[in-house]
Parts: sequence; structure tokens; C-alpha cells
Amino acid sequence: MSRRLRAILIAGAVAMVAYEIVVSYVPGPPPELIFVITNAAVGLSFLVAGIAAWQRWPASRLGLLFTIVGYAWLLPQVGQLRYALPFTISNITANIYAASLAHLALAWPSGRLRSRFERGVVVAVYTWNTGQSIVSLLFWNPRTNGCAGCPANLLLVSGSNSIEHIFDVISVPVGLTISAIVLTLIVRHWRSARGWSRRVMVPLVWISFAVVALSVVQTVTGNLNLHVSNLVLYGIAPLILLAGPALFVASTLRARMARGAVGSAIVDLEPGAPPERLRDALARALGDSTMQLAFRLPDGSGYLDTSGRAVDPARPGQGRVVMPLGESGEAVLVHDQGLEHEPQLVRLTASAAGMALEHARLQAEVQAQLEQVQASRTRIVEAGDAERRRLERDLHDGAQQRLVTLTLALGMARSRAAGADPELESLIDSATKEAREALVELRELARGIHPAVLTETGLAGAIQALVERSPVATTITALPAGRFPAQIEATAYFVVSEALANVAKHAAAGSAQVTIRQLTGQLMVQVSDDGAGGAKPEGSGLRGLADRVASAGGVLRIDSPPGSGTRLEADIPCT
Amino acid sequence: MHVTQPLAPLRVVIAEDTVLLREGMSRLLTEAGLDVAGTAGDAAQLLHLAGALRPDVVLTDIRMPPSQTTEGLQAAVQIRRQWPGTAVVVVSQHVETEHLFELLADDPRGVGYVLKERIADITQFTDAIRRVAAGESVIDPQVVSRLVARPRRDSPLQTLTERELAVLALMAEGRSNQAIAGQLYMSPKTLETHIGNMLAKLGLPPATEDHRRVLAVLTYLRR
Repeated sequence: MSRRLRAILIAGAVAMVAYEIVVSYVPGPPPELIFVITNAAVGLSFLVAGIAAWQRWPASRLGLLFTIVGYAWLLPQVGQLRYALPFTISNITANIYAASLAHLALAWPSGRLRSRFERGVVVAVYTWNTGQSIVSLLFWNPRTNGCAGCPANLLLVSGSNSIEHIFDVISVPVGLTISAIVLTLIVRHWRSARGWSRRVMVPLVWISFAVVALSVVQTVTGNLNLHVSNLVLYGIAPLILLAGPALFVASTLRARMARGAVGSAIVDLEPGAPPERLRDALARALGDSTMQLAFRLPDGSGYLDTSGRAVDPARPGQGRVVMPLGESGEAVLVHDQGLEHEPQLVRLTASAAGMALEHARLQAEVQAQLEQVQASRTRIVEAGDAERRRLERDLHDGAQQRLVTLTLALGMARSRAAGADPELESLIDSATKEAREALVELRELARGIHPAVLTETGLAGAIQALVERSPVATTITALPAGRFPAQIEATAYFVVSEALANVAKHAAAGSAQVTIRQLTGQLMVQVSDDGAGGAKPEGSGLRGLADRVASAGGVLRIDSPPGSGTRLEADIPCT
Repeated sequence: MHVTQPLAPLRVVIAEDTVLLREGMSRLLTEAGLDVAGTAGDAAQLLHLAGALRPDVVLTDIRMPPSQTTEGLQAAVQIRRQWPGTAVVVVSQHVETEHLFELLADDPRGVGYVLKERIADITQFTDAIRRVAAGESVIDPQVVSRLVARPRRDSPLQTLTERELAVLALMAEGRSNQAIAGQLYMSPKTLETHIGNMLAKLGLPPATEDHRRVLAVLTYLRR
């Protein structure tokens, strides 16, 4: 629908309304003001709904159909002019609006009729509503038949009341049949619609209900000759027709706001919200409760939606449309086909959802990388520990045993040489002394590499040994006797070992205290001294220790105010 | 005290997984006049030999196959419990006391804890074996001296004289009063006065039996 055509239609509508108002002042018996207002309001409401439909669904013909209904409603008002020609035209076109309403209803919401049968039905309605009016005009003389002040009927052939009456009797069942067919089709459309499509049918249901109600009331009162005032019947009752266009305009305004709601729906999702929450937010934003959010399975074999149903993007099902999210094809939206009328909203939603998913994916990726790094750090430390253990064992089983054997041989040589050669004796003595010192140094070296006692007897024995060796007076406040996983024991041991080494080297402390407690879920290791304080956490020793504790998933805290001692505390997770 | 040269040579079983060292010890002890009745390469074999041969003394390494942890130590504890007539000397690489107390826990009588480098000093080593066989306790002097030399704060140990500390160390090594008096050139009477004063200063009960005293003093020093 071109802009110019739209402008012409709108201008025409405005002109017609203006004309309506003018004709109410033409000479002759004035029409009731209420009729004028009602007619203008109903006609205008359809024209406004038409403009709204064009705005909202440019690709749909719904705007055109609304406009046609508006014109069809307003056209018969030319009869107000009370001249023969306008009067005749008015009577010919009196029922076309009902046909175009049926057309509008059946073509809802795309503006296109769904099948050849339905097109046939619509043609039949138009034909019947116009034809019936013409035929009945042929036999209706208004002057002799109920409207003495009316202008002449130009189509009049024979003013026979009996023929007109017979025709009326025939036309009632035909009209009812046609209405029943139209209503049945509308009900079928309603029942097959899901999600978005069903929601947008709400105004249509109101229009249909209003038309049926109005025509039933008018027909029934006309045929039964009930004494209902024309004012009520033709002046007030038609106002019910306003419901449809009004609801449509209201839903259009809501849809506009929905575009804004898409953004906030996505933003409101906290990071890492589960996919079903995202689906719910999107479904709300788009007004499509049937919307599915589906993700490709890790093995690429298909898609599953958030409630675990398999989805085939190649065959989304009757009335369903697939919308890929992002470029990876990892996720798709499957929504009601009707939403194609709101391409902008869908695009907006898809890109917002794509962004949310991308965000979640990146977050998961970072998390996974972090976990990998954490795991590899732990593995590196464990591998280092294993290597230290191996080295210590090699030293113990190799060099140390050989040195012991050597000192043994020297001892035997010494006893053989006893008394025979004093020079040889003293040579052997000094060799023995050297070998013994080498043994002591080697023992210290091996212990520094890895304390065998840690693997042999566990944390308690190893900490006890550390404290015995400490050059600063050190006491143990608490020390659990049980065994813990190797990595935890090693970490706790190195914390105490490094801390006591620091106390000896830097703290100028008089005493130190070691406390190890097993708390729920963690091992707390604490070493404190009464020395100079001022330890720098960023020093390489403490830095390395913090890394070591972190590799076990724990944290190291250092509290070392200058002049008030140092307290090192490690919490190591331990289940 | 019955530290007399036994008529028959002491029967010894050696457990050590390093072949070279095992053979060396075996030769050394044989040359020193002991009867090496058997040698074992692991704890299971040691337990078997201890049961089958009932030696006077068992010498064992702490770390042995298959687990390479404290199998020798466990075997020693078990032997003391099962065959009280067999004394044990544990040969250790550890100068710290984490294994020592496990070994002494039940009863320090007939138990020795000797560092590996001690083996080379044949006289000291065989002396230790003989003392243990005679029911004494023997704790390596180096282990004891480290304990005595530990830095302390607010400890009654700081009030002891040099001489008293020397007596204390010898007590911790498992020496008898007679031996201590001999080593420090003291009369037994003077020594007893020293010991009485010292135990009182430390707040330890005046234990007369050597083995009780060993445990009490070691525990105090380790504290």
C-alpha cells in the first residue's frame, strides 16, 4: 500500500466525516444527532484501526480491509441528503459493510484469505449483501411503505408489498446460512491458532461477537415487530462495533511498548540465568506463549528446547517459524508464524536473545578456562610434589645407603688398621668424619626436598619434626592426629615450614606458635610469632606460598603490622 | 645391673633392604664377635625370622619394601610385643623424634633407636646392641642432644646448670646411673643428689627405674 494511496484514503475518510456533520444541518427533518455521532464514531474507529494496522504490519493487508470497512460503513450515510440518487445509493450499499467485516474477519491477521473456499465465501457474502439490497429495492416503494417523507427510490419496478414480503422471507435463511458459515470459519481459525496468533485474534473475536449480536438484535426486533425505539437500535447499539477497532488499536500500542520490553526483559535477566528463564522472558516480550528456545546438542545431532523436547529446525511444524540466534547456529527460536507480521519486534528480540546467549557462552567459557587453569595448576603442584618424593627416595635408596655402606667399610678398615699404622688410622678417621658429615648434609638436603615423614606418618609427625628443628622456641597449640589427602598434608606442611623459616630468618622473634585445626570443610593452619612484623606479602617466598595454597583451592592471609609480630593463616579446603 | 659379657655370642637378625649395606653390617657384626643368625630384605621376612630363630636382638631399618614407609618400625613394635625375649634396635635416618615415640610407646626396655651413621663406629654400635640385648634403652646421643639444645622460652630447663643438662641428656639416652657416674667422673652419691634436684626443678616424679625415667625425660624434652 503506497503512501499516497494511504493519504488519499485518510483524506477521504476525514472528508466523509466532515460531510456527515454538514448533512446533519441540511434542510428538511434533521437526523437525530445521536445517529450522526454513532455513525461517525464507528466509521472513524475502523479508519483509525486501519491506519494503526498499516503502521504495525506494513506487509499485511489488514489496514486496507479496516479502511474498506470504514468506508462501507460511512457510504450509506449519503442517504441523509434526501435526494433520490443518494437515497438509492445509500440503500444499495447499506449492507456492504457487513460483507467487508466478514472479509476482514476471515483474512485476519495477514489480510489475505487462507483458501479458495474462503475466497468463495467472501465473494458470496459481498454478492449476497449487495444483490439482496438491490432486489429488495426493486419492490420497495418507500412512500407507500413506511417512509412517507423519503425521496424517490430510483430502482423501483413494482411497489408490491407482497413481493417484497416474499423476498424478505426467502432472504432470512440464506443470510443466516452465510453468517453461520463465516462464523464457523472464524471459530476454526481461532481454535487452530496458538501463541501469538491467538493473542492477536482477540479484537477479531470482539468484532465478530459485536456484528453477530447487532444483526441478531436488529433482525429479531425487525421480524418480530418489537417496539424497540430506533434510537436504541440504530443510534446506540452500533456503538458495540467500536470494541473491535478499539481493542486492535490498544493492542497495537501495547505491541509498540513490547519492543521496549524486549530489551528490559533481557537486561533484567541476571547473568547466568538458566535458558528457560530466557525463554520465558522472550515469550513474554513477544507475546507468544508457544515460543521455544532450542539449543544444538553437543554432538550436533539435533536440537532440544528448554523443556527437553526435540526440535527440527528444518521442519518446525505447522504454523511455526524458525529464527536462528546469533551466527553460530547454536541456538534457534521457534515461534508462531503470525509473528512474521512483526518482523522488527522479532529481529529485535532475536538479537537481544543472541546477545544474552553470547554473554552466557562467554561467561561459561571463561569459567571453564578458569577451572582448567585451576586444575592444571593443581596438577603442576602435584607433579612437582611427586617429583620431589621421587628425588628424596632416590637419594635415600641410592646415595645415602652408599654413604652408610662406605662409612661401614671405613669402620671395618679402621678396626683392621688399629695399632698397625697410626698414619693410616688417622687417614681413615678423617675419611670417616667426612663421610659422616656428607651423610648428615645429604639427610638435610633430602628432607628439604621432601619430608619422608610426611608420607610415612602424616601431618602430625611432620609438623612435630619441623617444630623440633625450629631455631626459634616454637610450641604447638593444636595439631590434629588424623591423616588427610596428600596434597592437603603437603600444602599445610609447606605453609608451616616456610613460615617457620621466615620466623627464623627475618622476624627476630622470641617465640612462635603453630596451630592447625580441622574445621568443617577446611583445615586451618596458623603460624604466629612475636617478632618485628612488617612481612611483605609480595615477597617471593610468601608469594610462592600463596600460590601453593591457592593451587589447593585455599587462601593465605598475612597479618604483619610493623612491631607487632606476624601471623600467617591458611585455610585449605578439606572434605 | 648385669652388663656382663655373655658366655655365648649374641644372636642377631639383620633387616635391611639394600643388599650392600646388609652384607656390610653382617660382616661388621660377625667380626665384632656377634652371631648373625639371619638376614632379611623386608618386614615380612624379618617377622618370620624373628619367630623362627628367636634371636637375642633384631636390627632393622625403618623404611622397607614393599610400601617403603615405616614397615621396619611396625615390625619392630610387633616383635617387642610378641617375643619379649627379643630386643630391637631400629636404625634410622631420622634425627627427629616422630618415629621414636611410636617405638617407645609401650615400654622402652630392650629398645634402641640409632642413627644410621652410628653404624660406622663399631664400638659404639656393638655397645648399643649389647645394652639393648641386656634390656636397657638406647637413644642415639645426637637425637637427644638436638632435643636438649632446642630453643625454649620460660622453661625450667633454662635454670639447669651445664652439668645437670649433661646428666639429663645421658638419662634421656637411656644410660644407667652407674654409667652416667662413670662417664661424668662423679660419685654415685653426688649423681643421685643431682638427679633428685633436677627432677624436682622440672616437676618430674622421682622415678627410680631407668626405663620410666627415659620416657619421662624424653617426653619433657620434646614438649
